[in-house]
Amino acid sequence: MSIRLRRRQFLMGSSALAAAAAFGAGPAWAQGATLRQFFWGGQARADRTYAVNDLFTAANGASVDSSFLAWGDYWPKLATETAGGNAPDIVQMDYRYIVEYAKRNAIAPLDEFVGGALKLDGFDEDQLEGGKVDGQLYGISLGANSVAQLVNLSAFEEAGIEPPNRDTTYDEIREKGEAFKAANIRGGIRIIADGSGSEPMLDNWLRQKGLALYTAEGTLGFDADAAVEWFTLWQGLRNDGICVTAEDQALDTNGPLETTMVVMGKAAMMPSNSNQLVAFRTLMTDNLTITNYPRIAPGVGGGHYRKPSMFFSVGGSSANKELAAEYLSFFVNDLEAAKVLGVERGIPCIDKTREAVAPDLGEADQIALEFVANLGDLLGPLPPPPPAAAGEIDASLLRVLSQEVAFGARTPEDAGQYFVSEATAILQRAS
Amino acid sequence: MTTDAERLTVVTGSSVTRRKVISIVSHVLLIGASIVMLYPLLWLMASSFRPENEIFTSGVSVLPSANWSFDSYVRGWNGLRVGFGQLFINSFVISALSVIGNVVACSLAAYAFARLEFAGRRFWFAMMLMTLMLPYQVTLIPQYVLFLNLGWVNTILPLVVPKFLAADAFFIFLMVQFFRGIPKELDEAARMDGAGPWRIYWKIILPLSMPVLATAAIFTFIWTWDDFFGPLIYLSDLRQYTVMLGLRTFTDNTGMSDYGGMFAMSVLSLVPIFVFFLLFQRLLIEGIATTGMKR
Amino acid sequence: MASPSFWSGVWQNHAPGYLFLLPWLIGFLGLTIGPILTSFYLSFTHFDLLTAPRWAGIDNYMRMFTNDPKFAASMRVTFVFVVFSVPLKLAFALGVALLLNRGMKGLPLYRALFYLPSLLGASVAIAILWRQMFAGNGLVNQLLANFGIQGPSWISNPNTSLWTLIILAVWQFGSPMIIFLAGLRQIPQDMYEAASLDGASKWRQFWKITLPMLTPVVFFNAIIQTIEAFKSFTPAFIISGGTGGPINSTLFYTLYLYNEAFGFFRMGYASALAWVLLAIVALFTAFSFLTSKYWVHYDD
Repeated sequence: MSIRLRRRQFLMGSSALAAAAAFGAGPAWAQGATLRQFFWGGQARADRTYAVNDLFTAANGASVDSSFLAWGDYWPKLATETAGGNAPDIVQMDYRYIVEYAKRNAIAPLDEFVGGALKLDGFDEDQLEGGKVDGQLYGISLGANSVAQLVNLSAFEEAGIEPPNRDTTYDEIREKGEAFKAANIRGGIRIIADGSGSEPMLDNWLRQKGLALYTAEGTLGFDADAAVEWFTLWQGLRNDGICVTAEDQALDTNGPLETTMVVMGKAAMMPSNSNQLVAFRTLMTDNLTITNYPRIAPGVGGGHYRKPSMFFSVGGSSANKELAAEYLSFFVNDLEAAKVLGVERGIPCIDKTREAVAPDLGEADQIALEFVANLGDLLGPLPPPPPAAAGEIDASLLRVLSQEVAFGARTPEDAGQYFVSEATAILQRAS
Repeated sequence: MTTDAERLTVVTGSSVTRRKVISIVSHVLLIGASIVMLYPLLWLMASSFRPENEIFTSGVSVLPSANWSFDSYVRGWNGLRVGFGQLFINSFVISALSVIGNVVACSLAAYAFARLEFAGRRFWFAMMLMTLMLPYQVTLIPQYVLFLNLGWVNTILPLVVPKFLAADAFFIFLMVQFFRGIPKELDEAARMDGAGPWRIYWKIILPLSMPVLATAAIFTFIWTWDDFFGPLIYLSDLRQYTVMLGLRTFTDNTGMSDYGGMFAMSVLSLVPIFVFFLLFQRLLIEGIATTGMKR
Repeated sequence: MASPSFWSGVWQNHAPGYLFLLPWLIGFLGLTIGPILTSFYLSFTHFDLLTAPRWAGIDNYMRMFTNDPKFAASMRVTFVFVVFSVPLKLAFALGVALLLNRGMKGLPLYRALFYLPSLLGASVAIAILWRQMFAGNGLVNQLLANFGIQGPSWISNPNTSLWTLIILAVWQFGSPMIIFLAGLRQIPQDMYEAASLDGASKWRQFWKITLPMLTPVVFFNAIIQTIEAFKSFTPAFIISGGTGGPINSTLFYTLYLYNEAFGFFRMGYASALAWVLLAIVALFTAFSFLTSKYWVHYDD
């Protein structure tokens, strides 16, 4: 399918090329210039990106030398290249690292190009804000997504239980979980994965309480009481057989999709992202859909937010910053390009591109689009970009503590206290 | 009273049975162990013929799926703009060059350490061993900067040139141990015939070292083929990617993956290294017949 | 005043050695020593990869030994891995090599079969399979259930997860086995013939001929496998997804190092970690070499 797409788009690109040649479009100086691009993703994303690069070359004249790697390999290579002073012109950037890279000038501020080479009319405000560090624009969001629960409808059907909906609360999850346990299908599948080690789930839960993971100043946005309550909540769910066991959850290595609880058949729902529905569907024959994270109480919302799923940034030492800005502008504005890209990187951030994309979407993509567009009262304000040490706190602290509580190596009270004290220490050390 | 002849039959009879029993037991053990060794390969092959949405719901089964097809192979082969064929060629070139480099350069260095006296020999030997002990993750950045300054980044030079400069201390050490096992009397005899160090190396040491040279060739080929970290850091152009590097782009944690394609290409990528192994393992069989040698 | 013949003597004595060593020397001095010394320098800096290194004195080493529980954890994990996987791997390698050396039918096939796991390497595919086999309802537990044993989820339980990696390492005993085979094949056949003529039993021949002549290879395999085990990275990286989990139970030392360098942008600290590892391994290697003269039998 992706190969067919590429050929079709290439044909469209060639006609664009013909048109451009007819009208003599493309600045003369851009002919022959080359941009180096580096992004993470799989074959599917690569095919689409290369097609867009062809369209860009047809319209602009400059060519794009592009390569890609999987997420896990991308960051060491980018860091190595940056350390060597050999960073590419266009890099794909993530919410997690943008502050780190921006503060160290490894990526360039784009404010000077806005309005000129980089046209951002009609760009969603919150997506624009998401790419700013210290008030300066460092990354252009390539699409919005939102956290979502991946739901295995077939499992719910088999158990004879109503799947969760927009209003489901944690208490209702518990009730349904009891019913799931009683139904005892598929070798004891539980209703929900153990979310205690999931940073997005903790974030969502805190936001519903009016707290936050991190403040704008880069300190912790919650205290030990909240942390203890969080670990206790999941301890209860685990002990009562509502969520998966410690051993099962530990199979999830926080990366490969095949180790996740729904794919492994251990849970009927689990925390995920809206743009991953299509990927999960190819891995399972069951009917999958997405819904929101549970509410902490009826009517309480504000947990979700529309996150920039990834950015394009310009290398700090790039010699072609303006040309790179033109590329970014093309990438997010051009309607042909938008149709090629679809929602593979997330929901487009400009209204007219969304409209251009909507008719061609597959079913899973439609579900994702509607979900993100219709969050309603679940939607809260965009949080500030996470501090540099957030990655460490997530990987080394939250995950490990949640596993320790799950395996009985720590009490929830102890874990909550330790989490706050250690996270504060990490944040201080990093600043 | 048993005669000598009877005693002889009893003795030989029981030892024959004993040999038979040992033979049967060892065959059973070997077959059992072979299944343990083979099983993962069978599972890999079975998964490569499954449709994508059955791979993870089939557990550890090696039975083919009812919906089996070559789809994964087709998809995998056409993956990565340039097609997997190009990646196979890239991997082969790098691996073959590495074999030549390693075998030649490491045997030269090993001969020096094992057979020649020179000032500082022990010091350099210790340095050579030290290079084995440092994890590559930390020399990575300085080495990258070095190769960047040499202009070798984005080529296969950083991957291949070190092999010709005996950077794989593992093989130097291996060959030293083997060379030291070759009787020195052979060297002496040749020296008395007027042979210099090069002749001894070429005419005596190397021919008697076929097993270790074959071992070095096999290991170099396979390890270079399987290495993804070097190509990851030094190759940026998709057209230069190696098979192992390409395989890693099939599975992406953040979006769509192609597990079937990955399994299929993993199976295919085993073919060259298996063939190489089978070709060279003949040389491992050759023993050394040093007839006429007195100890 | 040294006479010309003195210098030509020096040249004749030392030149051949250096000439043969030349490729390695060029590589070592040109490509290797620079990065090694740089990494030593980096261990005394704070280096976040994106900006230039900042001098930090012995801060990194202080933190390592006084304020880093994960350092101790990863050391423990790595030591356990080395202590168990290396002897087991060598035992299998030697045992199977001896078995295969008897020149039985189907030898090349068996040899290829036993080398197969090493060919497969530590790939994503193997990680997936290992997870399937060692998870709660995986193959291993299904087999154990036949004997009435209820196994834990080996691969995801912090008490047993390291053992799945040890088993993975031992399963790949093909490399040392091939080396043992090459060593066995290098023992001159006429020694066995002479011994048989003298009436020595197979067992005596093993003890008096095979083992002593094999000691250089045993020494090599023991040192190399130990060094490799200390540096082991890819299996833990792939099977734990880079997390070293659950609860740091598979946090191999080099995995910890890698995360510090590339995950948390602390390359200076990672360099310090690497040099500590080097020191430990160097001590072990030096000790092995010094004691090797008591049991390793060279012909020269």
